[in-house]
Amino acid sequence: MASKQVPLIETVDLRKSYFSEELETAVLHGLNLTINEEEFVSIMGPSGSGKSTLMHILGFLDQPTSGKYLFRGEATRTMTDDELAAIRATRVSFVFQAFNLLPRTTVLENVMLPLLYHPTIPASERRDRAMHAIETVGLGDRATYYTNQLSGGQQQRTAIARALVTEPDVIFADEPTGNLDSKSGNQVMEAIQELHAAGGRTIILVTHEQNTAQHAKRIIHLRDGHIDSDTTKFKRLNAKKNHNLTK
Amino acid sequence: MLVIDTFQAARKSLDRNRNRAMLTMLGVIIGVGSVVLMTSVGASMEELILGQISSIGAQSMVIFPGQQEGAEGTVQAGFDSITFSDIEALEKLDTVTSIAPAMFLPVPQATYGRETTEPRVIGTVPNYFRNRELTLSAGRLLEDADIRGARNVVVLSSEIVDDLFGKQDPIGKRIKIGSRFYEVVGTLESVGTQFFQNADEFVFIPLSTARAQTGQKYLNVVSLQAVGNFDLAQSDVETLLRKRHGIVGDDDFIVRTSAQANDILGAVSLGLTLFITTIAGISLIVGGIGIMNIMLVAVSERTREIGLRKAVGAKRRDILLQFLIEAIALTVIAGMIGVFLGLALAGLVAGIVDKFLPTYDFVLSLPSIGIALCMAFATGLGFGLYPARKAALLSPMNALRYE
Ligand SMILES: Nc1ncnc2c1ncn2[C@@H]1O[C@H](COP(=O)(O)OP(=O)(O)OP(=O)(O)O)[C@@H](O)[C@H]1O
Ligand SMILES: [Mg+2]
Repeated sequence: MASKQVPLIETVDLRKSYFSEELETAVLHGLNLTINEEEFVSIMGPSGSGKSTLMHILGFLDQPTSGKYLFRGEATRTMTDDELAAIRATRVSFVFQAFNLLPRTTVLENVMLPLLYHPTIPASERRDRAMHAIETVGLGDRATYYTNQLSGGQQQRTAIARALVTEPDVIFADEPTGNLDSKSGNQVMEAIQELHAAGGRTIILVTHEQNTAQHAKRIIHLRDGHIDSDTTKFKRLNAKKNHNLTK
Repeated sequence: MLVIDTFQAARKSLDRNRNRAMLTMLGVIIGVGSVVLMTSVGASMEELILGQISSIGAQSMVIFPGQQEGAEGTVQAGFDSITFSDIEALEKLDTVTSIAPAMFLPVPQATYGRETTEPRVIGTVPNYFRNRELTLSAGRLLEDADIRGARNVVVLSSEIVDDLFGKQDPIGKRIKIGSRFYEVVGTLESVGTQFFQNADEFVFIPLSTARAQTGQKYLNVVSLQAVGNFDLAQSDVETLLRKRHGIVGDDDFIVRTSAQANDILGAVSLGLTLFITTIAGISLIVGGIGIMNIMLVAVSERTREIGLRKAVGAKRRDILLQFLIEAIALTVIAGMIGVFLGLALAGLVAGIVDKFLPTYDFVLSLPSIGIALCMAFATGLGFGLYPARKAALLSPMNALRYE
């Protein structure tokens, strides 16, 4: 398969600066990163190290300042706005720390939202697909609830259902449990893990918590916009060893 | 994204933000509604007032005894300055014709059988009806023979007919005016109010009869028409009267012409138009600011919504179309409600005012409705679409982070 030869995500000297009134804040300082299909990657690092910034670029929510971002071997820099929109609609999904659900809207409608913009899924299938995704995250009995009638964990699971309803290749989750207590956090992590276990999907997860990160096979540490370490565990023992090395 | 989905998204978004939609619509409704109301009422008033100032015809002149206002304070000098011999002299001028002298008789009431009324009695000549454009509804007007014979005949205005005869035919009947009996020979069509006076409560008797009855030697008003050059005719009349009255200073008569009437007409009309335009403009600005405010307040929430929609795959076109549909739906629906409400209120006003001023009519001002709707569209689209377009151009993250 072609996907075996071409990595899903590849960055070359990826840089990002924010500009405000002539002032440049360099956040990412030339990242080289390769992520293959069906990987489960955790990104860790201190606050302000650029994790979210990286995720937004990889998730097609923002543009890098310089460097290359290849998605399935295709350079993204030259893509038109419509091409980028098409990738967001079909290939990638994002789960935000702040949920970002539509206010005053039901769970079902929130989950159906991406399907409105999906180029190939027919309108007649939207409801079924959305219900299926909602059941996948264990919210079947809450489908008609308004999002403000849900707990934080339920809201985040709604956001996860919204992320997986289009059956994307990659799901980006930026501290999905950051606003949740440990019990809700565990439920959300379970949902994410099951998604990966079901196969065929790449998951990239930002987290602060060591035990959350342990769900992933590969952990990338960022520090001040550089990759500090990038370790893949093959066995549990190795993982611990690697982890200790990076400390 | 399918077009129907875009409509759905717009509909849901309006539904979700019902308060904001309502307030925006309120702005449009107030703006459009008050413009429609004000311009309609204004146009009705204009018609009403201009109807009162009925033009006296381009070749017409009216001579009153007395002094030009402001010439000598408010002294009511010279109320008896125009005499029958003045009329004879005027009749010799080549430049004027259709001379119609008239005198007002202080008669308290007229009766027929048990019915009484209080007419205003005018003694005049046949020319009067032509100069005033009064038309017969039955019988005949005063004729030269009536004048020559100083006959006791009378022509009645429509309200006097109603008062005295109701549904009966008045022609040939004899009515008592003051202490004398007169035979009704004709009745006039209704003319409504003129100069805010009821013009339908007159009775007209021959001038000679009136003169014989009262012994009055002067005339209260003379109307006449110019032949050929109007200015020449006017100066002929003025010169003649000044010479006859031996005037060195201020005139003891006033000549009103259609030129003056048209000047007044123009000024009144212009004033009204300015007044209405000002009020309509203020209404539009008030409504527009309302719309603007609501939409600007909503910008940050809407920008985040746009960020989210883009994050899950919306194209710029999808966003713009949705917002366009939202804005159009809001302004069109609210605009129509506004027009409807404005017209309904104007109709109500017309209904009420008409009870007191029968000549007040409901007038529809189509151009102002058009302008009001266009302004509502422009503000609705401008302030709805411009921020949406800006947001749609941002990267999804920048839109999501917008504050
Ligand atoms: N829109 C922005 N404009 C300017 N600077 C920004 C912007 N977003 C982020 N930054 C800066 O970039 C740096 C990295 O931010 P980022 O959000 O990527 O960090 P992070 O690793 O996700 O931190 P955290 O763990 O706290 O979420 C920070 O110093 C931040 O101040
Ligand atoms: Mg972050």
